[in-house]
Amino acid sequence: MTGSTARAPPEDPMRTLARLFTGTALTVAAIGAFAAPAAYADNENDRENNNDHSFQSLEIYPASASPGTHVTVNTLACGKHGHGVGDANSLGAGEFQLEPSTHKEVVVGQFRVPEHVKAGTYGISVACDNGKTARGDLTVKHRNPSGHVQTGVGGSIGPDSTQVTAGAAVLAAAAVGGVWLLRRRASGAQGH
Amino acid sequence: MSNRSKGWGIAVAACVGLWLVQNGSQDVTPPVPSAAQAFAAGPSVHTDAAADPLPPSAPVRLRIPETDVDTPMTRLGLAADGSLDVPPEGDRNLAGWYGDGIAPGAKGTAIVAGHVDNAQGPAVFYTLGALKKGHRIEVDRQDGRTAVFTVDAVEVYANEDFPDKKVYGETDRAEIRVITCGGGFSKKNGYQGNVVAYGHLIGVR
Repeated sequence: MTGSTARAPPEDPMRTLARLFTGTALTVAAIGAFAAPAAYADNENDRENNNDHSFQSLEIYPASASPGTHVTVNTLACGKHGHGVGDANSLGAGEFQLEPSTHKEVVVGQFRVPEHVKAGTYGISVACDNGKTARGDLTVKHRNPSGHVQTGVGGSIGPDSTQVTAGAAVLAAAAVGGVWLLRRRASGAQGH
Repeated sequence: MSNRSKGWGIAVAACVGLWLVQNGSQDVTPPVPSAAQAFAAGPSVHTDAAADPLPPSAPVRLRIPETDVDTPMTRLGLAADGSLDVPPEGDRNLAGWYGDGIAPGAKGTAIVAGHVDNAQGPAVFYTLGALKKGHRIEVDRQDGRTAVFTVDAVEVYANEDFPDKKVYGETDRAEIRVITCGGGFSKKNGYQGNVVAYGHLIGVR
């Protein structure tokens, strides 16, 4: 599983993954490669039978993901050599395949959270070939912005032109008044 | 009135005129929030109880009655460096919200940003630093509802000390952040910080 993910192009690894496992030859090769020794098959079957009546848990990692990131799901529901089809249509990520994992008694699959999915909680389900179903929730969180914003260039900063104009007007009036007063004084002096 | 008192009057007028010209020639900068408006100064006198969050719906208009802000809203994304994009600079009355995040009124932290000024002069959030605790921020939404927020604090941060988690982090209530530039200006480096107004939802109309 990890090998096929690494080969997938980053823009659409899910589809590539699906193609890999739906293609006949590759599917056989992949299942063969990932199939683990069958030593624990009996224990596995016992456990599965105990939970037969309800949905089994689907482990989703990370349980909270941002758009564009990959999410890995695994479950015990499908059994040791099992196979399942995952349904991530709730967030527009389509279907994905779950294949036996190398080391654990689980099947594993992966899908990508689409870029334009809204924040919220989405149900993911898996239908196993053995008829069992597993369900889990994925919370889609958007990345928050980081850092400060660039929302100004300083165009509002400068002298207060209204105040300067008013001051100039007052000064001009004072000058006119001063001249008038001096003239009156001068003419008054002449009159005497 | 004697000539002497007229002379005094003219002298006083000349002084006032000089003071106006001199004082008005100094650079006027956007208002800066006082320390009393920070969280550290304690809660608002009237801390209104938080209202139940609304379902998500895009904002269409934002108003801050106390400072005569009334602006349409545009959707913002993230810049390549992960910072919030800003509305187009040419429009002096336009605010934006982080469209991939929380819608104002919904549970979580809705993020709104706008310019303090552009090359032509003051812009939509020029007066943000003059907001005070208890002032109202109203957001009209596409669903026809108006989310009413109360201002919890107005703080100013240096660009290099911007507290991402405090501003953008998650919350269980419906909260809002309104962000603009501020906190000192140098001709070389521009604005040296951001002013952030924090609010929480207190009602719906």
